[in-house]
This record gives sequence, C-alpha cells and structure tokens, in this order.
Amino acid sequence: MIAELGHLLAFLALATAVSQSYLGLTTGGEAPRRLAVATGLFTIAAFVTLIISFIRLDFSVALVAHNSHSLKPLIYRIAGAWGNHEGSMLLWCVIMAAYGAAGALFMKNDRLRDRALGVQGLLTVASLVYLLFVSSPFERLANPPLDGGGMNPLLQDPAVAAHPPFLYTGYVGMSFVFSIAAAGLINGQIDREWARRVRPWALTAWSALSIGITLGAIWAYYELGWGGWWFWDPVENASFMPWLVGAALIHSLVVTEKRGGMAAWTVFLAVLTFCLSLLGTFLVRSGVLTSVHAFAVNPARGTVLLFGLAAAGGAALALYAWRAPKLMAGQEFDPVSREGALILNNLFLSVGAALVLVGTVTPMFAQALNISLSIGEPYFQLTFAPMMAFLFVVMPLAQASPWRKAELAPLLKQFWVAAVVAVIAAGLAMYLEGNFAPWLALGVLVGAWVIAGVITDMARRVGSGGFGRLFKLPLAVWGMAIAHIGVGLFAIGATVETTARSEQTFPMRVGETVQAYNWTFKFDGVSDGEGPNYFTSTADIVATHDGITETLHPEKRFYPVAQQSTTEASITRTSVGHVYVVLGDTIREQPGVWRLRIAHHPLMDWVFGGAGLVALGGFIALGARLRRRAPVKNQAAEPEGPAPAPAGAAGAPA
Amino acid sequence: MIAALLMAVVVGNETPLADPKLEARAEALMREVRCVVCENEPVSQSTADIAVDMRRTIRNQVSQGKSDAEVRSFFADRYGQFVLFRPPTEGWGILLWAFPFLLLVGVGGAIAVRLFRSRHRDLKPLTDDGTGDLAD
Repeated sequence: MIAELGHLLAFLALATAVSQSYLGLTTGGEAPRRLAVATGLFTIAAFVTLIISFIRLDFSVALVAHNSHSLKPLIYRIAGAWGNHEGSMLLWCVIMAAYGAAGALFMKNDRLRDRALGVQGLLTVASLVYLLFVSSPFERLANPPLDGGGMNPLLQDPAVAAHPPFLYTGYVGMSFVFSIAAAGLINGQIDREWARRVRPWALTAWSALSIGITLGAIWAYYELGWGGWWFWDPVENASFMPWLVGAALIHSLVVTEKRGGMAAWTVFLAVLTFCLSLLGTFLVRSGVLTSVHAFAVNPARGTVLLFGLAAAGGAALALYAWRAPKLMAGQEFDPVSREGALILNNLFLSVGAALVLVGTVTPMFAQALNISLSIGEPYFQLTFAPMMAFLFVVMPLAQASPWRKAELAPLLKQFWVAAVVAVIAAGLAMYLEGNFAPWLALGVLVGAWVIAGVITDMARRVGSGGFGRLFKLPLAVWGMAIAHIGVGLFAIGATVETTARSEQTFPMRVGETVQAYNWTFKFDGVSDGEGPNYFTSTADIVATHDGITETLHPEKRFYPVAQQSTTEASITRTSVGHVYVVLGDTIREQPGVWRLRIAHHPLMDWVFGGAGLVALGGFIALGARLRRRAPVKNQAAEPEGPAPAPAGAAGAPA
Repeated sequence: MIAALLMAVVVGNETPLADPKLEARAEALMREVRCVVCENEPVSQSTADIAVDMRRTIRNQVSQGKSDAEVRSFFADRYGQFVLFRPPTEGWGILLWAFPFLLLVGVGGAIAVRLFRSRHRDLKPLTDDGTGDLAD
C-alpha cells in the first residue's frame, strides 16, 4: 500500500500546487501561503513513502526492484531512493516544493510573496506532472522479483550519496530565485527592496550548489580510481554553468541592494541561473550524454524537459522584455568604483559561463552533424583558466574600493605588500617545480595575490582598532573574506595539482619494493574478502617515508549483482599533498604480478578545502543577512516572519 | 589494422621516458587523447589495455622526436578529431578558441565606452567607515 499512498500524496501535492499557483497569481493572501506549505508537506511525505519502500526492500515497486538489492547496506538503500532517474526527480519536486513552503513561512506577506509562491507553484506543477506521467517512481511490478537488480556500485559511497541532495538544494533552489524574479517583474518592482529579499535565497542555493559540486569532485577523485577531480566533462559542466551565473548573481545583487544599480541585469541573471539548471538537467537526463548520471534513457523525457526549459525560459524572457525598459537606473557611479569592479566580476563570470556552455554543447551539435570533434580539458585550461586569473586579480581591489568612486592610485598603493608576496610565492613555486612553468607561476601568483590581498583588506578594515576589532567586523565581511580566501587557496591548489601531479604504474610481485615520490612501498600481497554485497581483493602495502611507516589497503571490489568492479584508492597525506595508491589488474601474461598505480597529488587538500571555504563563506553571508534582519523586525519596522530559518527549512545544511 | 597492431603489443611494464622533459610532454599528451574504449576518459587515466598501448605509442613517438602536433595528428588521422580533447586550432576551430576573448573584449569594451562616456568628474567616494557596513 505504501507506494500507492506515495502516488496519492504526489497527486495531492499536484492539486495543492495547482491551487497555489492560481491563487498566488490572482487573489494572494493566506490561501496560497497555506497551500504552498501543504504542497511542501505532501511532496516530502511522498518522498518518505518512497524511502520506506527502499528500506523495506519492497521489490514489487519497480524502482526498488531495479535499483536496490537485499544485501545493500541500509544507508545506501536510503540513498538508493535518489540514486536513479525517477527517485531523483521526486527529490527535485521535494526541494522545489520545500523552497515554496519556506518562502510561504518566512517571506513578508505582500504581493511579491504571493506571486513568487504562484510562480513557484507553476514550476512545481510542471515538475510533478513530469514526475507522475513520464517518470513515476511508484510503479508496481506484476511479478516482483525475489531480489533487486542492484545499484551502480560506483554510487555506493558516502560522498556521492550526499551529492544529489546538496546539488539539488542548489540547482533546484534557483527555482525560487527565478520565482521571486518573475514575481518582481510581474509587479514591475525590481528595486533595492526586491534585491534584499532575493539575496538570502540566492545565497542558500548557491552555497549548497558549491557543496554539491565539491562532493561530486571528491567522489570522482577517490572512487573512479584515476585521481582526477575535474575533467570538464559535460556532466560536470552542466552543474558548473548555473554555479558561475549564480556567483555573478550574488555579486550583482549586492550592487542592486546597496546602490539600486544593475537592476535589469540582476533580474536577468536570476532568471538565467534557473534556466541553466534546467538546461543542465536536460543535457544530463535526455541521453545526449553518456555518463554515470544518464540512468535509463527515454527520449520522451528529454523532449518534455526541453519543452519545460523553453516554456520557463520563454515566459520569463517575455516578462523581462516587457518590464526591463521601465526598470530604474540606480545611483550614479564612476567606472572606477566598487560598482565598476563588480561589473567586471559579472563580465568575467558571464563570459566564463558562455565559454563553458559553448564548449559543452558544440561537440553535441558536431556529433549530430557527423563532424568529429571533442572539446575537453586542454581547451578549458587554456581559455577559462586565464580568464578567471584576470578576475582574481581584480578581486581584492574590488573588496577595498569604495562605492561610487575610487581613487585608483591610493587604492593600489595599499596592496604593494600583497603584490610582493604574490611574486615571491610564484617564484618559490617555480623554484620547487624546478623549471620554467608559466601556468604554474600564473596560478600561484593570482592565488597568493588573492589571499594576501584579502588579508590586506581585512587589515585595512580593522585599521588602528587593534586585533579585537577584527572580530567586531560584520559577519557579511567575514563571509566575503572567507569565500575569497577559499578562491585563492583553490587557485593555488588547482594549478599546482594539475601541473605537478604525477603518476607511475608498477608491475609488482609479492614481497617486492618500489620507490616513488620519496616513499618506499613494499607489496605484501593481496587477500580476498567479502563485504556486505561485494567481493574484495585488498592489497597490503607497507609505505615508509621519513621513518614513518603506514599500511595502505587499496581495494578492488567486485559487485556480483551489477557484474561490475570498482577501485577503492588508498590515500595517505603528507605535508604537501596526497599519495594515492590504486590496486590495478593482474597481468595476464605474468601470473602473480599486480599492477600498482602510485600517484602524487600535491596540495590536493587546498583544492577541496578552498572549495569548502567558498561554500562556508556563502553560508556566513547568509547568516549575516538573516541576523541583520532580526533587529529591524524588533524595531517593528517590518512585520516579517521569524528570521533565521529559510536555510534549515529549505533543506539546506547551515 | 593499426588498432589490431597496437593491441598485439604485450601489456607489461610502462617505463617512463628517461628524459624528464620528454616524459612530461608525453604525460601531457596522454591527458589530451581520449581512450577509444572508455570514451569519457583520457588514455592517461583509462585502465583499458588499449589505453596502455596508446600510452606506449605516445611515449615512443615523443622519444623519436615527433612534435606534439605530429603525435596529435597521428591519433586524429586514425580515430578522427573526436579522439583529441583539444579542438583543432585551424579553420573553424580558430573561432572556437577565439570567441571567449572576442566576447570579453567586445562586451567589456562596449560597457567601458558607455561608462566612461557618461562619466561625471564630480563624484565623491562614499565614505566607508571601515566596518564594511556598506561593503558586504
């Protein structure tokens, strides 16, 4: 009965979402608000029923039968609920409806909220219709199998189990930003107040998206066995495009909120971000790509998604074209100013997103036209990376420049120490690398410049106030500084890792010893074992470095249900990076010889740590935004709902 | 036929080239060539046997003094341009490489012209007390 209950709940959610959108866009008031909460609760309940089916291994539910197995550990049975197309579409609906419910609970009661809930209702209706009629997770099987088909074993991993909920909180969360943008356009009111109210939602979604993308990269790094964390694969690009435009959005929102400027552009970005989320979903799910995300492919799904994208994008653009000419211009500013710097930020991030878009879809068109073409890592490294390097140069200057007008010479003068630090760091990196490596130097130069520059700016803000004043700086400043330092660490880590990583393969017999990267590895053989739903061959490797001895256990797992093997890399840290060991295959012609791949990934923690700080900075900025609103409410200026909640209620991890 | 020939080579040790500069070039090339079995991976990462052979071919050619471009065209001639993650830098390919920078300069230039034309000389900086109240 539980699957039927889920099905019914999803239909109830559809009914409340229909009413929510109609009443939100017409009369407004209490009714759409309550309906939005109901839509949220119904979809969450429907999702819970699906999870219960997965936990109980109800193989009469087709989705469970195809994607689970009795031997699978509990946590992956639960994660199995979204580790497939239908379940993840239900998660999509849940997050979309939850954002609507959170908006209903925490936004001030006015026309903007009503219409935002109305538009969010429309998006939720479209998603639920897609779910129920093209990809229902509640289908039953007439002849349930005795056991399930199992999940792709590559997905049996904690990072990738948590990846979709975060990614969707980001990606789908942009739907509510879209809705508030559409509501503002309908009302003809895109102003400072509008920007102030969009910002927490944009920050929530964007920060969650940052975490989701990072988790995906971490998973690729240790689970796929080749030690790469980003390959400019179309699937990665699909989530990176909304991230880039979202990053532009949270910066242009600042200009609109503080100075009333760039309103038309800001609202355009707010619409565009979600359109790119939809485009990404289309690319990943329609089957135009082959990847671990493509699941079972059905052409109808792609067509419907494309139609949805065209409808949402087209309607929003029509609204935009109607209202944009009437949007206000904002206060005057000199090109050399905080406003000007943030325009540069938006220019680079948008052109960067356009670059990623063209680089991602061109090979698909080429394939359709029978032209043999690939666009991959070398292209993006040579075009995207230098573009971002230039953006990073402006970053600390933007932080320190005043609004309206900046005097360039005194501004630059403050940063001479940071410039010297950056040059020294770049020189040091080249010295350590041992030869002239221009890309390495450039990456370290801008990364160190960002970090030193942000510290310079923080010191400027503290002034002569002493150390204590550092902690009295507003949370928003801290959020910005932490995110920007994360960017600097990431820039250094990513360039050093990509230019200086190296890997060697050794064929080894039991008892043999090899030297690599100042480590000594002794291969003590491979023992066979069994996990809950897999067989494993685990190697025993004694690694010695500077008198420290460690035992490493890289594994090869074989999942009999899926008839698929995975590798589990064994990673150990040094002060400068990761030593990464993968157990390869035995060699056919030489029995008893295993292939061992040993790689060195310098500054790997800087890459993931930097990305983590970017997300953390986003959440701190969100916290600042929520905290600042509270006192305003206490002064009875605005009858707004209880402040510190949208993040939690929207399912975002705070 | 070449593929079959490549496959026939016994899969064994993969010795890096003695000259670190040549080896670095070979490794860079391995990251640019797509494995023809696991299509979403470059040969540097693929564990397929054919990737081992492709890596060996790259090392051989680099050690024979072939240029990067010659190694790339060796693979492109046999498997099509699809096998290279680096799009061609000739013909229409130039547009692909140039468009991001053209877009940047074009749009950036247009914005700059507009902003600097309407520039008012009498604007004063908004005073920031350093707490960043205006600055988040």
